[in-house]
Amino acid sequence: MLVEWIIKSVVIVLFMTAGFAYVTLYERRLLARMQTRIGPNRAGPFGLLQPVADGIKLIFKEELVPHNADKLIFTLAPVITVIPALIITAVIPWGDTLTIGGTKITLYLTDVNIGILYLMAVTSISVYGITLAGWSSNNKYALLGGLRATAQMISYELALGLSFVGPILIAGSMSLLDIVKAQSSIPFILLQPAGFIIFFLASLAEVNRAPFDMPEAEQELTAGYHVEYSGMKFALFFMAEYIKLIAVAMIGSTLFLGGYQGPFVDQFPILGPVYLFAKVIIWLGVFIWLRATLPRIRYDRLMAFGWKIMFPIALLNVLVTAVVLVLVGG
Amino acid sequence: MSPAVIIFIVLALVAVACAVAMLVSKNAVYSALFLVLNFATIGVIYLMLGAPFIAVAQITVYAGAIMVLFLFVIMLLGGENLRLGEPLRGQRLIGLIFGAVLLAEIVLLLIFRSGMDQMVGTLTIDTSPAALGLEMFNKYSLPFEVTSLVLLVAVIGAVILTRVDPIRRPGKPDQDRKDQSGRQA
Amino acid sequence: MNDRLLSSTVDEAVSSRLSGLLTEDTRPGYSGYLVAPENLLEAVQILRDELGFDYLSSVTGVDYLEEDRLETVYHFYRSTGGSGLVLKSSCSRENGRIPSLTPIYPGAEFQEREAWDLLGIRFEGHPDLRRILMWEGFDGHPLRKDWREPYFEEEAKPFKSRWPDGKAVRSEEKTPFGDNVCFPPDFDPQTWQAEPETVIERLQQDEKPLADEEIQTDRIVVNLGPQHPSTHGVFRMTVMLDGETIVSLKPVMGYLHRNHEKIAERNTFLQNMPFTDRLDYLASMSNNFGYAIAVEKLMGVTPPERAEYIRVIMAELTRISSHIMTTGFLLNDLGAFFTPALYALEERELILDIFEMVSGSRMMCNYFRFGGVVRDIPEDVLGRIRQLVTDRLPRKIDELDSYLTNNEIVKTRCQGVGVLTDVQAIAYSAAGPILRASGVPYDVRRADPYSIYDRFDFDVAVQTHGDVYDRYLVRLQEMRESLKILRQALRDIPGGPVLAGKPQYQVRVPAGEAYGRVEGPKGELGFYVVSNGKPNPYRYHVRAPSFINLTSLETMCMHQKVADAVVVLGSVDIILGEVDR
Repeated sequence: MLVEWIIKSVVIVLFMTAGFAYVTLYERRLLARMQTRIGPNRAGPFGLLQPVADGIKLIFKEELVPHNADKLIFTLAPVITVIPALIITAVIPWGDTLTIGGTKITLYLTDVNIGILYLMAVTSISVYGITLAGWSSNNKYALLGGLRATAQMISYELALGLSFVGPILIAGSMSLLDIVKAQSSIPFILLQPAGFIIFFLASLAEVNRAPFDMPEAEQELTAGYHVEYSGMKFALFFMAEYIKLIAVAMIGSTLFLGGYQGPFVDQFPILGPVYLFAKVIIWLGVFIWLRATLPRIRYDRLMAFGWKIMFPIALLNVLVTAVVLVLVGG
Repeated sequence: MSPAVIIFIVLALVAVACAVAMLVSKNAVYSALFLVLNFATIGVIYLMLGAPFIAVAQITVYAGAIMVLFLFVIMLLGGENLRLGEPLRGQRLIGLIFGAVLLAEIVLLLIFRSGMDQMVGTLTIDTSPAALGLEMFNKYSLPFEVTSLVLLVAVIGAVILTRVDPIRRPGKPDQDRKDQSGRQA
Repeated sequence: MNDRLLSSTVDEAVSSRLSGLLTEDTRPGYSGYLVAPENLLEAVQILRDELGFDYLSSVTGVDYLEEDRLETVYHFYRSTGGSGLVLKSSCSRENGRIPSLTPIYPGAEFQEREAWDLLGIRFEGHPDLRRILMWEGFDGHPLRKDWREPYFEEEAKPFKSRWPDGKAVRSEEKTPFGDNVCFPPDFDPQTWQAEPETVIERLQQDEKPLADEEIQTDRIVVNLGPQHPSTHGVFRMTVMLDGETIVSLKPVMGYLHRNHEKIAERNTFLQNMPFTDRLDYLASMSNNFGYAIAVEKLMGVTPPERAEYIRVIMAELTRISSHIMTTGFLLNDLGAFFTPALYALEERELILDIFEMVSGSRMMCNYFRFGGVVRDIPEDVLGRIRQLVTDRLPRKIDELDSYLTNNEIVKTRCQGVGVLTDVQAIAYSAAGPILRASGVPYDVRRADPYSIYDRFDFDVAVQTHGDVYDRYLVRLQEMRESLKILRQALRDIPGGPVLAGKPQYQVRVPAGEAYGRVEGPKGELGFYVVSNGKPNPYRYHVRAPSFINLTSLETMCMHQKVADAVVVLGSVDIILGEVDR
């Protein structure tokens, strides 16, 4: 049991880190296509070795620590950023039970009855790394970036949390496995369109993606909170950002797109991870598409949008969902 | 000693150490971070007690929301290294005395009322979110509603206290600009 | 004809109203009026308020070393159109003082600072007379005729041989200032603090905390630049922020300064033609155009018909390429991830292909000559331009329009941001799309037509709100109007020679002064050239629209957010090669 558990954890961590590497490549190639360019295609076939080359480059870069930086926190911040990103997907089910040679293997690490709350707890602490990086760099741009990140995440966490409530109410459980199973006939995106949109926008803000990439806004804050970082420390921020991207795509797929559900998944449980993977790829593609298309919203308008529009709509959505459920006797 | 007790003792030591470090730390950001660590350890203790809901709520609400706001304010106001004296003379001494009394009370209460074993045991009641919800909205619905009302009053109070009269404030920029340009917002 | 009529009425009005204050400039080759420094403000006030010369186009100075005086030269125009009025005022070289025009024309601020910096003319009453292109540790005023640079060789090109007897002397072997650095006498590099910081400190001290503001947040000073991804080059904005709101902004420039004007005064007239390419390096054909017009005015040459058409075609293509790129990069400043910029660059490349075909170079074209252009434009290139102008570019501009104009984010980010009213725009001497976006339909091509622009049917693009969004709309419409002009020019272009007279390296330019101005993509681009009959210009001054448009930057950015400052700067469309010169 423990061995199985350890193996699964290692697989998830490896998947997330390797996934990070290839999401960067995916993003660069897709962006290039949208911008009438080709993108990196020199390292390996189709540029498949590009992430390796990038990694090697970053490892050998000099690690600079600004003179007046708070050295301890400056070093800790990237680590604090990466850990929540890595552990958040622990509760996501990849599939149902798989039987290999008589032994039953569950395709999920753990199924806790507070899975969604776990997600919220981890997202809520993921802001620390960014905030601390911004503060410890002793740089005005970084500080502004850190402040923006904090304010933005606090504002959008509420809407994000409320968008979780819809699926919870319909599935009648906070376990992600139950939520996925409740979607075997109809994915929640059809039952919860408003919730889906709120989740989508709030998750964009949570992972600092365009058009909500305020904390690192290149044109205004050069690079925001990680402006002073270089080498592997910078790579860790980069890694956390992309792992969060994958995690958000996985959470979104699980909550609204039916997770590992798909045709014939009951007969062949091994298809579960494949479906989930495909959904994640599409989700990421939409993120990249948005980045190629949209300019950035101004910071104060972003906050106003979060508090004055998203939050009330999310509350209303919860109310309507609950009332309808009571009326139809769900 | 069972492994659970050992883990508990380690966690308890970390929690107490963090609390002390928070108090003595000169830098406000460090203080806030020690407090976060303290909350996290307490969250883990809840988890050990078999109360995952409360553990996660502790982390989400205290570590994830309240302390982030604290940090935000510290950073925004640049108050990392404020050296505050004692606003009230002898405040520190009185605080210490009261703290010691409170601690003694808790310890005595725990030892004489329930015994040491209770502290590391697993709760026997149902701590699932559903059970908690039912308890809260049935048995304790009045205290719950009163608490929410108090919080609402606090929120409104905070808004009113920090509100600046928009007319007297010079240069309310965006509005002026818009009027000048004659655009509809 | 029309032009002359207008100028004669101007003369009459001026002579009747200001007869006591002004005297006519009667030096051969010169025009305009002379005014004594003590009468300057009074005369200018009357000019602006009663005679309608509300637009101060250019302020500069000339150092007449032999006559021991510095002369300031002002070019006034009416924002309703028509020809201009030149006013000059002299003071002694040593301690001469000229009253500053900033109280009447705020647009004189940076230009007077430049004249102080480079020529050492003291403007009395200027609110902030500091150096602007040079730094404070620079000794002397370089555009003065007796100022010599380190490694000075000779007064004027072409220089004599650097190895006269077969022995080369490297200029590095001559160390003019000992260790090559010469500070002003009262300057100590150790204790020196850069100006913008001291200015902002002063501002901070002056400012009283707002009594009714309960929470006092920290005000922080942020330097946007000189190394910053969105300052479009090496440019610095020293910004004081309250939260994210701008409460003070000082542009700092000069990082790319090379004293274009001094170098040009050492060059011969023709040598300056490729040198103008380097001003606004995205619009080299327009720069050529302005300089050619100024020198042609002095020489009294008129280019042949075909050359005029070629010039117009090239200038309008330049305008389109510059505007399309500005639009693309404005979106970048808004935070779009390069997609619009790359779409814009694709079209610009096609236009640069044409430049390469006619001139041999994509950016530094050096295509114009005094009295024409350097070589004829082949028929197949004309066909290519026709194809581009009638098919591809209109389609792509419509595409840009449909993608951007109604984009919700673009609208919320641009509307009501960086507002400059029409009165402010004229007062600050703003030019080009900025002026027109503020509701002033002033386009040099229409207001004071040069070359053959009076033959074409086109509209002056104008909008009324004066914000970033309207500047974008003006640029969009201007591209369409340029296409209109291009279609007419391509239809009507006659055959014939492309250069008046025969090509020559050393042109003969009679003594006198001339101010040639064209409507460049960034605004009114003017060249003030003074000749004393020698092969080199005695004075060569560029009225750089990017530079003068920055005068109003603080006004536009005040009380906006940091993010908006970046967008406003993008909408002003500066090219540092031109700002810093």
